[in-house]
Amino acid sequence: MRVVIAEDSVLLREGLERLLSENGLEVVGSCSTAEDLLLKVRSYAPDVAIVDIRLPPTHNDEGLRAALEIREHHPDVAVLVLSQYVELGLAMKLLAESAEGAGYLLKDRISDVADFVSAVRRVAGGGSAIDPIIVSTLLSRRRSDDPLVELTPREREVLELMAEGRSNQGIADKLVLTLRAVEKYVSSIFGKLGLPSSGSDSRRVLAVLLYLRS
Amino acid sequence: MALWAIGLAGGTAAASSLAFALTNPAIGSDVGEPLVIAVLSDWITLSYVLCGLLAWWHRPASRFGPLMVLAGFANYVTTLAWTNGDVSFTVGQAFDFVPPVLFLHLFLAFPSGQLSGRFDRALVVVAYVTAVGLELVRMTLGGFGPHNLLEIAPNPDAALVVVRVQLLAVSAFCLTGVAVLAARRRRSGRPLRRSLALLVNAFALALVMIALLFVAIVLDGPAIAQIRWATFVTLGLAPVAFLVGLLLARLARSAVGELVVGLHAEPGPADLRDALARALRDPSLTVAYWLPEFGSYADLDGRPVELPDDDGRTTTLIDRNGSHVAALLHDPALNDEPALLDGVTAAAGIAIDNARLHAELRARLQELRGSRIRVIEAGQKERQRLERDLHDGAQQRLISLSLDLSRLEDRLGADPDARTSLDEARREIATSLEELRAVARGIHPAVVSGHGLGVALEQLAARAPVPVRLTVTVEGRLPERLEVAAFYLVSESLANIGKHANARSASVDVARANGLVIVEVADDGIGGADTEKGTGLRGLADRVEALEGRLRVWSPHGGGTRLRAEIPCAS
Repeated sequence: MRVVIAEDSVLLREGLERLLSENGLEVVGSCSTAEDLLLKVRSYAPDVAIVDIRLPPTHNDEGLRAALEIREHHPDVAVLVLSQYVELGLAMKLLAESAEGAGYLLKDRISDVADFVSAVRRVAGGGSAIDPIIVSTLLSRRRSDDPLVELTPREREVLELMAEGRSNQGIADKLVLTLRAVEKYVSSIFGKLGLPSSGSDSRRVLAVLLYLRS
Repeated sequence: MALWAIGLAGGTAAASSLAFALTNPAIGSDVGEPLVIAVLSDWITLSYVLCGLLAWWHRPASRFGPLMVLAGFANYVTTLAWTNGDVSFTVGQAFDFVPPVLFLHLFLAFPSGQLSGRFDRALVVVAYVTAVGLELVRMTLGGFGPHNLLEIAPNPDAALVVVRVQLLAVSAFCLTGVAVLAARRRRSGRPLRRSLALLVNAFALALVMIALLFVAIVLDGPAIAQIRWATFVTLGLAPVAFLVGLLLARLARSAVGELVVGLHAEPGPADLRDALARALRDPSLTVAYWLPEFGSYADLDGRPVELPDDDGRTTTLIDRNGSHVAALLHDPALNDEPALLDGVTAAAGIAIDNARLHAELRARLQELRGSRIRVIEAGQKERQRLERDLHDGAQQRLISLSLDLSRLEDRLGADPDARTSLDEARREIATSLEELRAVARGIHPAVVSGHGLGVALEQLAARAPVPVRLTVTVEGRLPERLEVAAFYLVSESLANIGKHANARSASVDVARANGLVIVEVADDGIGGADTEKGTGLRGLADRVEALEGRLRVWSPHGGGTRLRAEIPCAS
C-alpha cells in the first residue's frame, strides 16, 4: 500500500514515516506544503494521502483545500486528514457527498499505532475513518423525542463504531462479538432509526452522520 | 464730491450729443432719424456713466466702476463726429470703433476691473490697436467730408476695404471674448451666482449683437437699422443688469438679518452650512473647521479637509476672539462682496464656534474608534500568534513524544511493570494534549480564521447542551475580527443557555442585511436574564460595541431569551 504524507512539523512527519514503514506501508513521498502534496499525488498515484489540515504558508485551510482537490480530481486516491482540533463542520465539508476513501482524525490518534494503521488501511481501501470525537459530539445532544433513546447501550456502542467507519468485522473485533451478533445489532439500529440499510461501510457512515446531524 | 461732478459731466455730455444730432441733419441720412440715433446713443452714454459711478461709489477699490464710466464717455466722444468743427469731428471719428472694444474690455475684466491672464490682455490690446489704428488709416484715405483733418490721399476703394476689415476684425474679437468666457465657465463646472449670471449674460448678448451688426453692415444685409437699434438697447442694458446685480447683493445683505433670526432658532451644526450658503447665495459653499489639536481642518464629521489652492475656489478665514475657528470655501465672486461676507461670518460667529466644537468632538471620536479597532486587532494578532506557537510547538512535540512511546512499547517485550508505566505516561500526554487544546481554543478559535464562521459554528451547535437549529446565510468570509466576535458571542450565549436558561432547544441565526451582520441567539427557556447582573452579558456587549455594533437582549420571565447583535460590515 503506497502512502504520501503532507505534514509541516518535521518531528511528526518523520515519526509518521517510520510508523507507517514499520507497519508494512510504503511511504512513496513526504512533504510539508500543499503544493508539493498535489505534485506528489499526481506523480506517484498513491493509494492514500495523509494530510495535515494546517499547512504553510498561512496555516489556515491549505491542507483541507488540497484534500478537497484530491478528492475531486483524483478519486482513486484516498485522503486521510489529520488535525489538532476536530470540527464537525470540517468533517462535513470533507465528506460532502461521500465518505468513500475519506478519513478525518485527531492527530493524537497516531499514538495508538495499531488502531491508526488500521484506519489508514481502511481509508486506503475505500472505507472511511471518522474521529470518535465527531461521533460523540453528534451523539451528545439530548432530544426528548429522539429515537436514539430507544437504543440499548450495546446498540449505541455499535452505532458509534459504525459512524467511525468500521466494518462489521472491525466492530466485532473491537467489541469481542461474533460477526453474526454485530449484523443483528446493525439491522436493529437501522430499524429503530428508520434508516434504509445501505450497502457499503462508507455509505453507511455518511447516512449515520447525516442522520445524527439533522 | 468728485463723483457728483463726473455725473454732472455725463449729463452735460448726453445733452450736448443730443444737440449735435439735432443741429446736424446729415447724420441720420443712412441709419434713421437723428433724434432716434441720438436718444439711443445717450441711452448708452448715460447708463454706463451713471451705473459706473454707482459701482465706483459702492466699491471704491474696484476698477470696474471707473472703466464703465470711461466706456460711457468714450461713447459720448464718438458723437463729436456729428459736429461741424474740424478738430472735434476728427477726434470723434477717430473714436468711432472704440466703444465696442471698451465693452469687450469690460466684459473680460468683470468683476475686478482688471484683465486676468495673458490671452485676455493680448486680445484687448490687439482690439484697441485695430479699432483706433485702422480708423486713422481709413481717415487718411478720405471720404468723411470737409471736416476730416487727417485726409491725405483720397481713395474710396481702399477705404471700403479698410472699413470691412475693421468691422470683421472687431466682431471676431467680440465673439472670441464671449467664447473664451463661456469656455472658462464650462470648465469651472460651477454655476455662477445669480446676480453675476445676469450681468455676464447681458454683456455676452450685447457683444454678440455688435458682431451681428458689423457683419450685417459688411454684407449689406437687411434691416440694418433695426439691428442697430436693438444692439444699442442691449448695450445699454448691460449696466442695468449690473445695477440689478448690486441690488441683489444688497438684498443678500438683508439675508444676514434672516441668518441671525435663523441661527437664533439654534439649528443643529449640520444646518449651519445650509444657512450660510443661503445667506451668501452660494450653493457651492463648504465650511471647514479648524482643529488646533490636530493642526488641520476638518468637516463637520471630523474628517480631514484640505484647503484648495486652485483659482476655482476662494478661502475666507474666520477668526473669533483672536483664535482661528473655521474657513469658508466659496465662489471667488463673493470676494466682491466683502461686506456680505463679513456680515454673515459675524452673525454666524457663535454657531460656527459650536459647529467647530462638534467637529472637534467627532474627530476625537473617530480617532478613538480607530485606536479601539487597532487595539482589538493587535490583541487578536497576538492571540493568533500564541495559538500558532502552541500548535506548532508544544502540541506537535507531545504527539510526537506519544508516538515514540508507542514504538518503544512494541520493543519492550513482556515486562508488565514497564508497560503499565508507559501506558500511564501516554495517558498523561493525552490529557496534556486535551488541556492544551482547550487553552489554545480559548486563546484563539483557529477554525474561525482557517475555515470561516459557518464551519466553526457547526461544532459549537453540535456540542451545545440543547439541540440547536443553526442557520448561517452569510456568503463568503467576513472580516476576521467580526467573525471571531460572532464566534465568541454564540459560544458564550450557548454556554449561558446551558447554565441558566433551562431551555429545551435554541436557535442561532447569522445573516447579513443593509451593511450589518446580524447574529441572533434565542432559546425557549425561563428567560429573566439580567444585563446588569454578572459580567457575562456585559462582556458580550463590550465585544460587540468595540466593533461599533450593538447588542440587544430580550428576556421576559418565562418567555425565553433572545439576544441580537448588529455589527456594521461594509459589503
